[in-house]
Amino acid sequence: MTKTLSKNELESWLGNILKERTLVAPRCVDDLTLFLPVASVDEIAFDCGNTDLSPKDWFFPRTEALFTAEHKDADIEITPAVIEQETVIFGIRPCDAKGIAILDGPYLADPADSLWAQHRAKTTMIGLSCSSPAPQCFCTSMGGAPFDSSSVDILLTEVNDGYIVDAVTEKGEKLLQGVELKESDVSGSVPSCDTQVPAEGITEAVKRAFDDPYWGRLADRCLHCNICAYVCPTCYCFDIRDRTEGGKIERLRTWESCQSKGFTKIAGGHDPRVDKGSRLRQRFCHKLLYFPEQFGPLGCVGCGRCVVSCPVNIDIREIISDVQELGAKVGEGSS
Amino acid sequence: MSENSAPLIIGFLCNWCSYAGADMAGTSRAAYPSNIRILRVPCSGRVDPMMIVKCFQEGADAVLVAGCHPGDCHYNEGNYYGRRRFALLRELLDFMGVERERFRVEWVSASEGKRFAKIVTDFTNEMTKMGPRKAS
Amino acid sequence: MASDFTQQIREKARELLEDGTVECVIGYETGSDGISARPAFIYNAADVERLVFDNTCTHNLVKYLLNKKAKSTAVVVKGCDSRALNLLLSERQIERDKAFVVGVVCPGIVESRWNERSEQLQKRCDWCRQHTPVVSDFMVGDPVTEQPPADFADVAEEEAKTAEERAAFWQQQAERCIRCYACRQACPGCYCTDCFAESLDPEWVGIRIAPAESQMWNTIRAFHLAGRCISCNECERVCPVNLPLSLLNRKLEQKVLELFDYRAGMSEDAPAPLITFKKDEKLGIAE
Repeated sequence: MTKTLSKNELESWLGNILKERTLVAPRCVDDLTLFLPVASVDEIAFDCGNTDLSPKDWFFPRTEALFTAEHKDADIEITPAVIEQETVIFGIRPCDAKGIAILDGPYLADPADSLWAQHRAKTTMIGLSCSSPAPQCFCTSMGGAPFDSSSVDILLTEVNDGYIVDAVTEKGEKLLQGVELKESDVSGSVPSCDTQVPAEGITEAVKRAFDDPYWGRLADRCLHCNICAYVCPTCYCFDIRDRTEGGKIERLRTWESCQSKGFTKIAGGHDPRVDKGSRLRQRFCHKLLYFPEQFGPLGCVGCGRCVVSCPVNIDIREIISDVQELGAKVGEGSS
Repeated sequence: MSENSAPLIIGFLCNWCSYAGADMAGTSRAAYPSNIRILRVPCSGRVDPMMIVKCFQEGADAVLVAGCHPGDCHYNEGNYYGRRRFALLRELLDFMGVERERFRVEWVSASEGKRFAKIVTDFTNEMTKMGPRKAS
Repeated sequence: MASDFTQQIREKARELLEDGTVECVIGYETGSDGISARPAFIYNAADVERLVFDNTCTHNLVKYLLNKKAKSTAVVVKGCDSRALNLLLSERQIERDKAFVVGVVCPGIVESRWNERSEQLQKRCDWCRQHTPVVSDFMVGDPVTEQPPADFADVAEEEAKTAEERAAFWQQQAERCIRCYACRQACPGCYCTDCFAESLDPEWVGIRIAPAESQMWNTIRAFHLAGRCISCNECERVCPVNLPLSLLNRKLEQKVLELFDYRAGMSEDAPAPLITFKKDEKLGIAE
């Protein structure tokens, strides 16, 4: 038996949520679909596919103050940022939710990032199964699935006349308190993500292909903009700078990317990743080699945003295939 | 901006003519409103358009650039280059919603103290009438 | 026609690589979606079959010559792209004898995204007055008679709004900008080793990814291309949040045409309007 909710019931439930908390959901703004706060349920784009930008903004905002500092008499008073607002994200896809969940690895490792921890604690994710994965999607190859409930608090799966409701975590159950769910024996059709990417053993292959001229040739084409990093749900690098205004100092953290020139520049002017090939390689090594080595899962969830957004078609799925081939070749050579 | 300082006008004055002109306004006791905050620059051609955009971005209501009359530039041609840049910049700013009236360029010589005072007075009055900028 | 162009480009590329005229041919190949083109770098004659030319060949490949300064390289250019060659030549960023230019008389480029290809011509093709490349060592296709000057209806439409509406419009756009700098990275005219956007002292643009900073960035980016933009519109195409950057570029293009009768990149010798002057010109400044 499963529990279900009709579309109308879902809407009135979301309506109640947004009276007390910030409700963030996919919204169409001009020609983009973005996760934004909604003022009424009508604004929610229920039928959109993957949003143009990932929902990471709600856990790792593009710009966020870590603390503010101010002169108070002879002292300096430092006020750390505190996240008070309870937020509910509706309509997050399993791949995106997984992208957030795996970032607990770097961000909650000792010493834990206080802001990340607060965002995670204050945010409840209502996931929406992917009933029609897009051509660029490849979540199943990266260890996910269109109906994967492992990283959300509640998973909704669209069925004929409503949604199957699966309360995954305690936080999810709490949010569902007082909502009347119907018992039903419907089952959601299990969609599949058709694109298969040979990701098995990719970590070893990347290691073997590390010194291959392949990366330099690939970087010929790369423009080294930050699109891939900024649309990616799992790119979590940042820059920090202080900003003063009217005698007040804020320490700001903003998105940054390993693709930008000077990202690894150190005091004295040396830059260990000065050539474009090594910068581009870093992106893929981080996702496919360093991240799994340090934290377990692959650092890519297969949402396909970079595939669609890259202006020169640097396609991670193609790179995974190429690197597997290269790795196999190098493997043969050395054995 | 606080009420009494509005409108806030930033003035870039070239060292050789216009700044001396402003000085002359002072010594000849020609009064002008204190809304203008003056920055001395070596030449009107040194005024990078980025400085002007930055002024507006940081909340200025208007910007005045003043330099030597064409032909009188201390560096011979700085103001000629500046003139072209300012002509285009004013168009771009206006296009992006900073009305063209808010960015003024004037040629003021070292002997034109009274004229400088009049320019600043008129500009301030005009900006007061226009009111503060609507968006940043 | 497209297949004929492809064939001619392949043959020329093979010849150039085989006789050692160039080390690399920068052209187009079919992308991972199978329906649209992407830039291709061909180093061996054996790989020339990868090269294609069709109406999805949108990228301005001249940008890549900036990375290949020291080596002789062949590059496939459309009409608009070719104007970037003149721009970079006049600014001494590339050397003419190191570049072999395969010019393609442009049939017009359609709107395409990854896995999406429409038959709708891009906006820049409506404005285009340069289908035939202005620089080339080898021409693919027959030169065409160019259309009379395009009007600036898009600019006029924007100007019909009040200043307040225009400010609000650009504020809205700035709210969307994520400061990925794709506009800069794709632009053949943006090649400064140290861009003002990354300067810390003075800090022209603050670190925040926020409207005020984005507006500063977008305003100055456009202004730094005043009299230099060659209308390939790559900045707008690559923008992941679809900012209407062409409006800013075209406003300046219109004014440059009006005040200085100048179109960027039409010749290697004509100095860009902001690096020269006329003593007695009237520009509506302090007159």
